[in-house]
Amino acid sequence: MSPVPVTHILFVSTALFFIGMYGLFTRRNMITMLMSVELILNSVNINFVAFNKYLYPGKLDGIFFSLFIITIAAAEAAVAIAIIINLYRSHHSIDVEDAGELKY
Amino acid sequence: MNAIIFSALSGVAMMFTGIFTTNKSAIRNVAVIALLGLIIVNLLHSYGIFVVRVNTHSMLQFETFGLFFNTLVFAATLLFVLLSGKDVTNAGTYGAEYFALIFFVLCGVSILTCYNSLLMLFIGIEILSIPLYILTGADKRNLKSNEASLKYFLMGSFSTGILLMGITLVYGITGTFSIEAMRPAVSVGAPNYGILEPVGLLFIFIALLFKVSAAPFHFWTPDVYDGAPTVFTSFMATIVKAAGFVSFIRLFDARAIEMGISWKIILPVIIIATLLIGNITAVFQQSVKRMMAYSSIAQAGFMLFAVYVNNDMSKEGILLYTAAYSIATIGIFAILTRMKDITFDGFNGLAKKHPVLAATNAVFLLSLAGIPLTAGFFAKYYMLAAVVKENGAGALWLVIVAVLFAAVSVYYYFRVIQAMYFKEGEPEITEVSGGFKTALVMLAVLIVLIGTFPSALLNWFYF
Amino acid sequence: MNTLAYLVPLFPLLGFLVNGLGRKSLSKSATGVIGSGVILASFVVSLLLFFDVKSHGATIATAFDFINGGSFKIPFAFQIDQLSSLFLLIITGIGFLIHLYSTAYMHEEESHHFARYFAYLNLFVFSMLLLVMGANYVIMFIGWEGVGLCSYLLIGYWFKNANYNYAAKKAFVMNRIGDLGFLLAVFWLLSKLGTVTYGDVFANYSKLSSADMTGITILLFVGAMGKSAQIPLYTWLPDAMAGPTPVSALIHAATMVTAGIYMIARSNVLYSHSEVAQNLVAIIGLATALFSATIAIKQNDIKKVLAYSTVSQLGYMFLGLGVGAYTGAVFHVMTHAFFKALLFLGAGSVIHAMHHEQDIRKMGGLKKKLPITHITFLMGCIAISGIPPFSGFFSKDEILAAAFAHNPVYWGLGVAGAAMTAFYMFRLYATTFLGTFRGTHEQEHHLHESPSAMTIPLIILAILSVIGGFVGIPELFVHDGHLLKSFLSPVITEQEHHIEHSTEYVLMGISVAVAAIAILFAISKYSKNPELGEPAGLGKILADKWYIDELYDAVIVKPLDALATFFKNIIEKSGIDGIVNGVGKLVTYSSRQLRLLQNGQVGGYILFMVLAMIVVVLIWVNDGYLYKMFTSLF
Repeated sequence: MSPVPVTHILFVSTALFFIGMYGLFTRRNMITMLMSVELILNSVNINFVAFNKYLYPGKLDGIFFSLFIITIAAAEAAVAIAIIINLYRSHHSIDVEDAGELKY
Repeated sequence: MNAIIFSALSGVAMMFTGIFTTNKSAIRNVAVIALLGLIIVNLLHSYGIFVVRVNTHSMLQFETFGLFFNTLVFAATLLFVLLSGKDVTNAGTYGAEYFALIFFVLCGVSILTCYNSLLMLFIGIEILSIPLYILTGADKRNLKSNEASLKYFLMGSFSTGILLMGITLVYGITGTFSIEAMRPAVSVGAPNYGILEPVGLLFIFIALLFKVSAAPFHFWTPDVYDGAPTVFTSFMATIVKAAGFVSFIRLFDARAIEMGISWKIILPVIIIATLLIGNITAVFQQSVKRMMAYSSIAQAGFMLFAVYVNNDMSKEGILLYTAAYSIATIGIFAILTRMKDITFDGFNGLAKKHPVLAATNAVFLLSLAGIPLTAGFFAKYYMLAAVVKENGAGALWLVIVAVLFAAVSVYYYFRVIQAMYFKEGEPEITEVSGGFKTALVMLAVLIVLIGTFPSALLNWFYF
Repeated sequence: MNTLAYLVPLFPLLGFLVNGLGRKSLSKSATGVIGSGVILASFVVSLLLFFDVKSHGATIATAFDFINGGSFKIPFAFQIDQLSSLFLLIITGIGFLIHLYSTAYMHEEESHHFARYFAYLNLFVFSMLLLVMGANYVIMFIGWEGVGLCSYLLIGYWFKNANYNYAAKKAFVMNRIGDLGFLLAVFWLLSKLGTVTYGDVFANYSKLSSADMTGITILLFVGAMGKSAQIPLYTWLPDAMAGPTPVSALIHAATMVTAGIYMIARSNVLYSHSEVAQNLVAIIGLATALFSATIAIKQNDIKKVLAYSTVSQLGYMFLGLGVGAYTGAVFHVMTHAFFKALLFLGAGSVIHAMHHEQDIRKMGGLKKKLPITHITFLMGCIAISGIPPFSGFFSKDEILAAAFAHNPVYWGLGVAGAAMTAFYMFRLYATTFLGTFRGTHEQEHHLHESPSAMTIPLIILAILSVIGGFVGIPELFVHDGHLLKSFLSPVITEQEHHIEHSTEYVLMGISVAVAAIAILFAISKYSKNPELGEPAGLGKILADKWYIDELYDAVIVKPLDALATFFKNIIEKSGIDGIVNGVGKLVTYSSRQLRLLQNGQVGGYILFMVLAMIVVVLIWVNDGYLYKMFTSLF
């Protein structure tokens, strides 16, 4: 079985990145948007790990960076959920278009 | 190093203060003491005295510029707390926590002024941003505050995604996160990394442009500044924005060459777009708070000149600009917090009822507009002079455009002055203490002093 | 002696400050004493300086560096030499007499207006002293502007009268035209020689090309035209008679209007080396002398006659300067100062007696009622007409002799002018003092001789008018009799001219005879039957001053007015305002449109940002193509 080349993995991560980006500007549901953000962050994680494994196998920099990203993504998610809950309390909706009072 | 550790510890300490006391003035006093301590330990760092010795493995690199900038930011925060401390504790239910978050933000700032690794850049930005998402939504019962918080979070995390994508591309090509280490290889020009590294850097720059709210990545700014509780808007618009610029300058200093010549056209376009959107859109605003949000975009356009030219003069300029802009903005927002009606009409006739507030507010506005004898004038002057010094007459058109937009800015700043002095009205205002007025007057005096002797501040920096 | 020089202008300045600041509190007598006293003090100091110069020569007193511009320096310095000390005596001496006279003449004014009058007058003397004492053209220019200002203030002294204000403005504007010429000349000098100090300029005149020399001298002369009321800038002087009569005597006859002559005499080194400028000065001077003399013949306002006479006499002085008789011109300045001040003050005395009636057709027969005024006025008339041995004879003769040597036509025209002078002066004299009284009964009842404060200056000036000429007795009569010429010789390089003694006798005889005939003709014509009706034909044209004012109005003022109206109504309203308002509207409009971008939807924002990113990356991939295109544009 031949090893998976790095380009394949990069293809997956890039696809994930753009799926996340697409989700951000098409979805209305706040939870879905949060998930899109997570997709973006995870695509970056895949990138880091793949680069580290294939290009710089002697070091661990990329893997550690992805650990930091995971941690911080968790913190962000916690804050995000809190914000969404708060918004749901006031708007009784998690549709992001309902939160359009601030404009112009 | 001292500042990073001490600010994080102060944040924790503030959280515990919230457990032990609910006395708001006590909380404020602790915050003030902690800030004073922060300034002192940061100054001690300059003299080589460390609280804890840490080997950073050259992930952080401390330079005079960064340390001085820390001092400036901490001093601005101290002014902010002295002036608006009461409003911080009154913004929501948990006074002490807000101060804790502010200290965490300062921790992020201290990292951003001295990072030497892209990892630290990322961590610094996140430590800066996440508390801000919370502060923006601090007024939990306020719809606007919630909405602003959500928008800030969504766009902020999106920009974080961009930043990380950029970092990973750069890492993939160079195998290191250090912003210093890769520089010689490129300037020697030996290995050609292809397109990926510059694109990665481009992504990082875009994320930073987002943080400093440069057009067309500015969309979060008006909504977030408008929706956030006014005190925190003040904090975000000044201290956080300045930190964004310093991190930008740091990275740009090291890596701009790799971007090639195109960067020299992208940045002026972005500067002009920022000046255009900020100044022009501010003209039609009805709310002073939202006008200030757009004006902060416009001011960011001016501060971007420091990124564009990047010489000694522009560094002096960004310090001066940070000081001038922060002092004036903190003052204006402090007054704005006390206003019941934050539209332009709300300021009608303020001069008759509260002459001190009106006069100091006028000085702040004049400084933002860049009228001579105020600090804002020299701040703008240094920026433009730096451009001319670096690029000669070829960049004169950029200077002319900037000056024209500065002229537009006079329009909306003077609308406030006009409302205060030349219109009749009954401005409603919550009670202001004598201390508050004194602090405002001192800020105004400071602005005029810097405006008269700009070199005094800068000499201190060299000293 | 250096420090004494500062005192001369200091006294009038002090007087100005005390009278100006204390005008509400000082009494009239205090004001009068201060105002006149400071001038007397200046006069005394000037006398000391004069004798010092006479025995020890010129001195320069430098107070401080006025302008220090690196490569050039303009010191604030006073030059006390023969020329300036002579002018100092004239200014402070006659100035004092006129101040003294004013204390009585202006006595009807309210006390604070009275003090204002003396403050202005002192300020005038101060500026005039700066003008003549300055050691360079810049200090002269400061004084030059100062006297212009004071002239404006004093012409418009009775500021409640709109016509007087108009006259003041006219004087100021006309003077400004001349001042521009002066200023340009100073700049020109500065750019070519790097200095404006007299000594350095005159020592280095050879460094100037002949074109520069001509340009500078003509521009200086333009300045002199304005200040000394020469064609074409003379029309302000007759209107300036709106001011109080002593002001007319001091400023518009004896001192300020001779500033132009002083300036050219001072710059004689330059003028002597520019034939073009000299000829221009001579021709303009002669034309002015004749032209204004014709106008004076038909004027009926006692002061207007004197005013045109002044313009005419100034023309003679310029003729003298133009033909190189600098000493003669300065001599005529001096004698003219005596007799014209006398005539003006005499006219003032008449006006005072007649309760501010100035029309000579309503006077007549004043000989008996005003004996002192009459005698002194007659002295003045004889002096100005050039009858020996009165002072005017000597100075005018010197100018005419030089003119003859230069060009006999100049002499012929000059004599014709002198005849007209004699004629109109005696027409004035005969109409005013001879014949029978033609005023109202009430005026006749109140006719009285003026108080001694007014008659004493008249008597002193009359004596000076009679004997003043003896300082310049021509070579013809007494060998080395021209004291003035030998006194001024260090500063004035005379252009020598030689006329046979026999010719000179003939010339002198002709001019005296012509003047005498004109006098007799005027007396016989007007003592019994003065001209009372409105003139017709040529007389009307003369009485209406050749319609020069109307011409200027039509040629210069009206078109300028029309242009200004055009700019105001068309360019300003639709052009400038349109652009300014248009920019404002454009900004507001674009603001309204641009803010729609901020539509409040996060999805839209992110979409925008992604699009912007794509654009940025595309620009980058183009690798500077756009940048190069862009920079090639600038």
